[in-house]
Amino acid sequence: MATTRKDGYRPGLVDISAGQVSREIFVNEEIYREELERLFARVWLFVGHESQIPKPGDYFVSGMGEESVILCRDRAGKVHVFLNSCRHRGMKVCRYDEGNTPVFTCPYHGWSYGTDGQLVGVPYFREAYHEKLDRSRWGLVEVPRTYLYKGTVWACWDSAAPPFLEYLGDFVRYLDLTLDGWDGSEGGTEILGGIQKWRIPCNWKFPAENFCGDSYHNISHRSVDLVGIGPSGTGRRDMRERQMARRLQVAFYERGHQTGVYLFPKDQATPPSYQHSPEVSEYFAHCEEERRKKRGEWGRLIGSPGEIFPNTALHPRQPRTIAVWHPRGAHQTEVWRWYVVDSAAPQEVKDFLRDYYIRYSGPGGMTEQDDMENWNYAHAASRGTIARRYPYSYEQGLGFETENYEWQGLRIPGTVMDITDAKSSEHNLRNLYRRWAEFMEAESWGELATWRLARAAE
Amino acid sequence: MSEPVNIRLLQPGTRVVLEGGATAEIVSNPQDGVWVFARFLTSPDDPDRIGSEEMVFAQEIVEVGEAS
Amino acid sequence: MASTNTTGYRRGLVDLGKGQISREIFVNDEIYQEELERIFARAWLLVGHESQIPNPGDFFVSSMGEESVILCRDRAHKVHVFLNSCRHRGMKVCRYDEGNAAVLTCPYHGWSYSTDGRLVGVPYFREAYHGSLDRSRWGLAEVAQLCLYKGTVWASWDPAAPPFLEYLGDFLPYIDLTLDAWDGSDGGTEILSGIQKWRVPCNWKFPAENFSGDSYHNISHRSVDLAGIGPSGSGRRDMPELLMARKLHIAFPEHGHQTTSYLLPKEVALPPAYQHSSVVSEYFRECEEARRNKRGDWGRMIALVGEVFPNTAFLARQPRTLAAWHPRGAHETEVWRWFLVDRNAPAEVKDFLRQYYIRYSGPGGMTEQDDMENWNYAHAASRGTIARRYPYNYEQGTGTEIENYEWESFRVPGVVCDLTRAKSSEHNLRNLYRRWAEFMEADRWEELTSGRRLGRAEAAE
Repeated sequence: MATTRKDGYRPGLVDISAGQVSREIFVNEEIYREELERLFARVWLFVGHESQIPKPGDYFVSGMGEESVILCRDRAGKVHVFLNSCRHRGMKVCRYDEGNTPVFTCPYHGWSYGTDGQLVGVPYFREAYHEKLDRSRWGLVEVPRTYLYKGTVWACWDSAAPPFLEYLGDFVRYLDLTLDGWDGSEGGTEILGGIQKWRIPCNWKFPAENFCGDSYHNISHRSVDLVGIGPSGTGRRDMRERQMARRLQVAFYERGHQTGVYLFPKDQATPPSYQHSPEVSEYFAHCEEERRKKRGEWGRLIGSPGEIFPNTALHPRQPRTIAVWHPRGAHQTEVWRWYVVDSAAPQEVKDFLRDYYIRYSGPGGMTEQDDMENWNYAHAASRGTIARRYPYSYEQGLGFETENYEWQGLRIPGTVMDITDAKSSEHNLRNLYRRWAEFMEAESWGELATWRLARAAE
Repeated sequence: MSEPVNIRLLQPGTRVVLEGGATAEIVSNPQDGVWVFARFLTSPDDPDRIGSEEMVFAQEIVEVGEAS
Repeated sequence: MASTNTTGYRRGLVDLGKGQISREIFVNDEIYQEELERIFARAWLLVGHESQIPNPGDFFVSSMGEESVILCRDRAHKVHVFLNSCRHRGMKVCRYDEGNAAVLTCPYHGWSYSTDGRLVGVPYFREAYHGSLDRSRWGLAEVAQLCLYKGTVWASWDPAAPPFLEYLGDFLPYIDLTLDAWDGSDGGTEILSGIQKWRVPCNWKFPAENFSGDSYHNISHRSVDLAGIGPSGSGRRDMPELLMARKLHIAFPEHGHQTTSYLLPKEVALPPAYQHSSVVSEYFRECEEARRNKRGDWGRMIALVGEVFPNTAFLARQPRTLAAWHPRGAHETEVWRWFLVDRNAPAEVKDFLRQYYIRYSGPGGMTEQDDMENWNYAHAASRGTIARRYPYNYEQGTGTEIENYEWESFRVPGVVCDLTRAKSSEHNLRNLYRRWAEFMEADRWEELTSGRRLGRAEAAE
C-alpha cells in the first residue's frame, strides 16, 4: 500500500499535468482517514434546506462527513447545526429523521438540550452535582460556521475557513441556476419532501467526479434513452435546446468547484419541453420567458450537473436536485438527494416533477441505477493488490482550457473548456482532484485561500 | 414502592406530587419520557420555587393528582 | 487523532481532577491494541464456573480478552485453562462450545492433547519426526495463574500478577454477595445453563462503566418499570427494603473494583418478595431470614451491581448474574452472561428464576436491551473526527467521597460515596478509569501493587 505522505499527494498520487490519478486515493483507508480530518472537517458542507424546518422547534437530522448533525430552528427562529452527540456520554440525542420538539433529550441519562443547544435539563443537578456542573459549558457542540443561502443551509467545522460566499467565489452564479425559481426569481425554490437516502459500495469520489461534469459516460445511459423516460416522452430529458447551444465545462481552479453549462445563442427561443402535460409545459414556457427577461444575457445560461467542493452535487435542470455524497468509510457512500421545485409552482407541476424526478434519480431512478452499477464495480475492481498499481487516466482534453471565455457577448466566469465540438473532456474532473490534493497537503486555510494571497500581493 | 408514573401520559393542567412533597401543575409535555415542564404550586422545602416554571425530571414525580 | 502516549493517560486522556475523560479511549484503535497488552494480558479475568465442568473430561470453551481458551477438568479432577490453539500450526483445537472429551485433537494435522494439556498424540511421531520431537515442550499453552473461588474460575496470563484474593483485596465480601447462596451458605450457587452470548457494537468499557454503578441511567429503563416485569408483578425488581437503606457507591482505588450496594438499617422487617409464586416467595423468605441470622451485620448489606476490574460484572440480587465484556476490537463487545441460582433450591424456584432472569437480562432481556441501545449509539456518535474532540463529563459528586464510612455501627470497607440523598454519583466510574489509566501506564506489576494512594490523592484534587 502506498504511504500517503512520503511522496506527497502531488505529483505522487495526483499528477494533473500527466493526467493521472492513483487508484490509492479511492481505496486506501489511511488516505480516507486523512480525508476526514483534512477535507470534511475544514470545508463547507451542505446540510439541508430551510423549507425542511419552517417552524420554531423543527429539526432535520443531517450528516457532515461521517457524523450525524441536527439542523434545527430554535424558539427565536434562529437556525443551528449541532453535533448529534450528548456531551455527557456521547449518546445520539436525536434518533428521529425529522420532527418538531421543544428539547432534545438524551435517552441514556436524560441530559436535555434546548433547540438553541443550551443544556437545560440535568437530572439530579442539585442532589448529585451539588449544582457544581457548569451547564453553560456543556451545551451541544455547535458547528462554528453556518450560512443560509437562498434557502440552503451550509456548515463548516473550521473557524478559520473563509465565509461561505468567499468559499464559493464567482461560482455562486452557477449555484443560483439550481436555487432560483425557473422564472428567475431569487431563491424561489423549496424541497419536495422527503429526501432520499441510500448506500452504495464505492468511494464517495466516484459520484463526486461523475457530477462534476462527466458526460463521457452518457453511453451507459443509452438504455434509459431508449426507454424514453423524459418529460416529453422521449430520451431521458428534453434535450433539443442543447443542439443550439455552446456546451461548456467551467472550473474554478482556486476553489475546486465546477459545472457543465449550456450557453444559448443571443436570440434563440427555448424549444418546447414537458410535452407530456399541457399545464406543465405551459408553466415552464412561461417561466422560461420570464427568466430571460429578468436575467438578460445571463438568462442564456442553462445549468447542467456541477459540484461544490468536495461533496455537494447540483443537478439544476432536468431533474432539479441537490445531492450529498456522505463518506461511510473508504469503500461506502451514503447518498442523500434533495428534490427541488419552485415554491410558487401549481400543485400539478410539483406532482408531475416528483414523478419524473424519482423516475430519473434516486435508488430506484433509472438513470442513477446505471451510475451506481458503474461506480460499485469500478471501486471493487480497483481495490486489489494488483489493480491499485495502475493509475486512472484523466488526460482527456488536457491543454485545451480557455481563460476569459466569451461567446456572443457573454463572458463566462471560470476556466472554460468548450466541448461543443470536442464532445467531452476531463477538465472539470482534473479540477476536482487538483483541489482535493491541495486540501490533503495544506496545513492551514492560509495556504488554501490562494486568492487572498494574490490580492495581498497586488 | 409506588408504581412508576408514565409521564408521557401527563396532560397540561395535571397536578403532580414530587419527591419531598412539593406539588406542581403540568404546563407542557415534550413527550420525551424524561421531562415535563411544570409550575410549582407548593414547595415546603423551598418556598421561592412557588410559581416558578421548571423542567421536572420523571423520577421526581411520585404521584399524579386530578387535572385542575 | 490524539496520539496515545505523548501526553500520557492520566492528565491527557483521563483527567479525574477535572472529571473529564477523552472519547479517544473508547474509539481509538491504537489505544485498544495497547489495552490488549496492558490490561487483558495482565489482569485476572473470569472464565467460567466449576458447575459447568463437574466431571473429568468436561470442558467449556471460554474467552480471555480476544482469545479463545478452554476451561476443562482433567482425569484427576484438576481444573485447567488452556489457550485454544494448537502448538503446531495454531488451529483451534476445540471447536465446540462445551462438552466432554478424552482428548482434544486438532483437526488440521491431528496433534492431540490430553485434558491436562499434554501433547499425547503426534501423527508419524516415529516416521516423520524420527521420535525426536520433545513432546513435553509442546503441550497446550496454559494460563500463568488460576484460582477457583466459590465455584467461579478466574485466570491471568501474567505470572507476576498478585494472587487472585490479593487482587480482589477487601472487595471480596461484596463478591460473596453474588456467590453465596441466598441463605448465606458459602458458595452455595451454581450456573443455570446455558450461558448467553451476543455482540454489541460498542467499546467494552461502555458496559463496564455501566455495571460499575451507573444508576444515573435508570430513567432509560422507565418503560420496563412501567411494563412491570418484576418477580412480584410490578417494576423490574422487588426493592421495597431499599427505600429504608443507605444507597452507597463503594470503590477500591488501589484495585479498580467497585459496587453499588445498599446498607439496611439494624432492625428492619423482611418485606415480601417474589409474590408471583407462593413457593418461591416462601423459599426466599426463609433464606433471607437464615442469611441475616448467619451473617450478622454483613447480612444488612445488599449488593446491586458491581465490577471486578477490568471486565467482570456482577448483578447480585435481582436477577443474579455474572457477565464478562469480551473485547472484540475497539468497536465491538461480546457479552457473556452467566445466570446464578442456589444449588439447593427446589426446581420450581430455579425455573421461576430462569424465566425472570431472561425477561430482565441478555440479548432479549427488556432491561438489557435499553442499555444496549444507549451503548451502541453512544459509541457510534463518539467515533467521528469532530465528536472525539469533546471529552465526556465524569464530575458528578467529585469531592463527596468518604473514607471509613460507618452507619449504624457498620463500618463499610472501601471508599464510599453516599447516594441516599445525592441519588447518583460518578465516584465508581472515576475509580474504574483511574485504575484503567494506571494499568495503561505501568510497565510492571510492582507499580500497580505498591500501595500508592495516588488515586485518592487525585480524587481529593
